[in-house]
Amino acid sequence: MTTETLPLTRQDFVSNQTVRWCPGCGDYSILAQVQKTMPDIGFAREDIVFISGIGCSSRFPYYMNTYGIHSIHGRAPTLASGLAIARPDLSIWVVTGDGDGLSIGGNHMIHAIRRNINLNILLFNNRIYGLTKGQYSPTSRHGMVTKSSPMGSVEQPLNPIALALASEATFVARSIDAHTQHLGEVLLEAAHHVGTSFVEIYQNCVIFNPNEWIGLDDRRLRDENILYLKHGEPMIFGKNHDKGIRLNGFMPEVVQLGNGVSEDDLLVHDETSMQLAFIISSMEFPHFPAPMGVIRRVQKQTYTEGLMEQVKAAQAKKGVGDLYELYTSADLWTVTERETVKGKQTGALSLELDDEYMDEMEQKPEETTAMQDQLITPIATLQPRAPVSIDAAASLAKAIRQMNAHRVGCLLVTDKDDRLVGIFTEKDVLMRVVGLVDDLTAVPVANYMTPNPIALTTSLPIAQALYEMSIHGFRHVPLVDDDGRPEGIISFRDVVRRLKQNFN
Amino acid sequence: MSLEQELKTEQVTHLDLTGFCMVASGTAVQDTLNAMRQHNVNVCIVTAGEHLAGIFTDRDVLGRVATHNDLLTQPIDTVMTPAPITVGPETSAAAALWLMDAKGIRNLPVVDEDGRILGVMTHQAVIHYLAARYPIEVQNRSPHPEQFPRKPEGGD
Ligand code: SF4
Repeated sequence: MTTETLPLTRQDFVSNQTVRWCPGCGDYSILAQVQKTMPDIGFAREDIVFISGIGCSSRFPYYMNTYGIHSIHGRAPTLASGLAIARPDLSIWVVTGDGDGLSIGGNHMIHAIRRNINLNILLFNNRIYGLTKGQYSPTSRHGMVTKSSPMGSVEQPLNPIALALASEATFVARSIDAHTQHLGEVLLEAAHHVGTSFVEIYQNCVIFNPNEWIGLDDRRLRDENILYLKHGEPMIFGKNHDKGIRLNGFMPEVVQLGNGVSEDDLLVHDETSMQLAFIISSMEFPHFPAPMGVIRRVQKQTYTEGLMEQVKAAQAKKGVGDLYELYTSADLWTVTERETVKGKQTGALSLELDDEYMDEMEQKPEETTAMQDQLITPIATLQPRAPVSIDAAASLAKAIRQMNAHRVGCLLVTDKDDRLVGIFTEKDVLMRVVGLVDDLTAVPVANYMTPNPIALTTSLPIAQALYEMSIHGFRHVPLVDDDGRPEGIISFRDVVRRLKQNFN
Repeated sequence: MSLEQELKTEQVTHLDLTGFCMVASGTAVQDTLNAMRQHNVNVCIVTAGEHLAGIFTDRDVLGRVATHNDLLTQPIDTVMTPAPITVGPETSAAAALWLMDAKGIRNLPVVDEDGRILGVMTHQAVIHYLAARYPIEVQNRSPHPEQFPRKPEGGD
């Protein structure tokens, strides 16, 4: 049963918690995409649960306005498994990292996958331990210099995709934090899959491993280096779609299209082929383009379905059991309180370490480009235009007249105290008004506006406005003063103008 | 390389040119609106065969159709912008952006030399490009804009 009738938006999934990730961490981008995807997965908010273990990524449940459990190290899949069996009607998400999910929780993870429990497992792979400040992780490359491997790691990293495949995963996919559209699509596919969905997300730890995904998270290079997998389509990649993957014996190879090599020679992606999935999992960037998208997807019975069938069969034979009776049938004892033992540690050493570490952090002068500097200047410097406002009680007819008269695509809707209560745009006219409302003079604009719109203050950086535009597809962002009264409005055109000044 | 040079070397076809729908010339305005609603897009390309006949956007809905319900049964051709400005696939992202700015247009169809439609360049395409180009500054932001961690590694 759902208690919410209004369509949900991303904002409904943003919790009120302070987000404690480092500024610029890739986790933010993943969080934004997960929040954006949630309204589309077809579950009510109270039927969604996020469960995590320990690590930077595992702070995730706090930031989602859903149910959540921040559990113990590596054990998120165990709690999630229990929940999925007890409540098969929920959408359950496990958020883990390369340390939590592959080292400490490695066993729990593979067995949850093997059982095909109806979970969505998101593994944020940044190839480093972030929360504990930079030790090598199970996915750190051989030779990687970290705080705990000053001469380079001597260990062979493990391959999360191959591990999931070896655990007979029914859904395996990969994406990357910086490619938000791709990530959003993959998340939605994972949500729709019944059974365990395993998604590896390449994530940038800007503090301890910022160069790990160079070539993949850079907008200029990514389309050259990422192989976007599509079921039934040949494996073509490159900015100009001019390269492909061909099979040579058992080995994949990169070929240039043209000169006698045509699309027909290329491997065709097949989500149902385990053999092909293993070949794809073996393709490591930079020797190959990084495969992204759905690698394997097959339908199999879930653990819960199988188990419930057996429970039903047993009940039909023996009748419904009594759990309490079973519980109290054996020896019982009472736990009594004991004196607590005091520790000897003073904490002084860890403080010293922290100081040393802070010094190190502070010595890092970062070079920024002119564009980066522009992005962090306040919105006020764009000299935003004055907004066109309308009273919430005004009719639709008046709203449309005003928009046409002022030649604007967007009105800020205010209450009697002049506070911003909604936004009404030409897209609303298209989507909800024309041909759908008989008498434009009879209905107030308040019924057709988007209520409680995202509004910024002019002291925020330009980047914040771009962030909202990019996530939500907004063309305008309203600006308000501290009392929530409209102060201005900016559109991407204002940003373009800034770019242009900067260029000439 | 500065952003300016980057946008000059980046071809417009390397941007995300999706986010529009297509209807054939002669389609009724009402059916066009339905198509746009179904695809949740604010731009519609009107085609004649494989070629571009015109463009119809939410701006046209507001300005030309919103107060004239009698137009809903008319063919889209009566309210679209016929023969809009277009660019070829080799055009640089920078040139396309400046053209849009100079002409005051928000949607720029990209067509090949035979006039076939390859996509529509929009401001949104550039926004996505900038966001992905500067992920640390733009994408990786806190959902609470006023929040600013005091320590470089986050936290309070
Ligand atoms: S340590 Fe790394 S992964 Fe953890 S919050 Fe900071 S940047 Fe993100």
